[in-house]
Amino acid sequence: MSGASENVEPGELEPAAKAELDRAFEEFYRKHLRDVYSYAYYRVGNHHDAEDLTEQAFLQAYRHFDRARRESSGRPLRPWLIRIAHNLASNYYRDRSRRPQTPLESADPIAARHDTVAIAEGREELRRVMDNLDNLSEDRREALIMRFALGMDNREIARALGRSDGATKVLIHRAIKQLQEEMSDE
Amino acid sequence: MSEPRAGAAGNWDVESLLSDALRPIEPPERLSGRIEDTLAAITQAAAEELSDWAEELSDEELRALRDPRNWVRPVIAVGAGGVATGALVVLELRRRSRQKGESGLRSIASGLRSRL
Repeated sequence: MSGASENVEPGELEPAAKAELDRAFEEFYRKHLRDVYSYAYYRVGNHHDAEDLTEQAFLQAYRHFDRARRESSGRPLRPWLIRIAHNLASNYYRDRSRRPQTPLESADPIAARHDTVAIAEGREELRRVMDNLDNLSEDRREALIMRFALGMDNREIARALGRSDGATKVLIHRAIKQLQEEMSDE
Repeated sequence: MSEPRAGAAGNWDVESLLSDALRPIEPPERLSGRIEDTLAAITQAAAEELSDWAEELSDEELRALRDPRNWVRPVIAVGAGGVATGALVVLELRRRSRQKGESGLRSIASGLRSRL
């Protein structure tokens, strides 16, 4: 954008740049609304707080979007956005000194996504894995939410969590191994 | 979904279970409307605030804006409101300049533009 300003009259560039920024943000917002909402939902465990957290995340993203785009060097901005949601979720618990009010298993994402027969056949297994997921440490649980609910790869998760690629790979591996062990012990 | 995902030795296919359990959640329709309304309201409020502020300036205050030490307020306001609101300051200065025929304001606006 700064490069373009050398060739365009500032009075003409500013509204155009603003319009372009808004268009880009609108596209970004529509593309990632489900990601942020899914992440927020699995973090806080209820729709009401997930909506608040999602709204706050996009408001923060809007404020810093121009700078984030300039500093991203063309890399995807999804990890940056999820990191905003991650920080907000952490503050959410810190400020209110609380854990999810509604356990994940009773928030019932399963019922919303599967037909009746599938629920009957697989519900107990899914409840068990959600139970055990909730017992993981926060960083392990978050990494699994990013991987499975958002479909993020290791590099994206690493950026969102502020870790190295290698440390993230180990984190996910250990999280899955812990779940396997705990479910096998039951 | 139909087959139990635990082997004979109790080795669970955890990744398959997680794929099913952690499905993406569709946000409620009301949420996108709510977020879009909030973003629009913030942009509008910032624009109105700056417009009101520019309207309230006396000629003396406008003259004082020639001094770069007095540019903190509009710069802070623009930082909060974004590029469009920065353009509003410039437009208001231009409008006042046209009305009063004070050609010196052009340089103020140029100075502000270059710093916003």
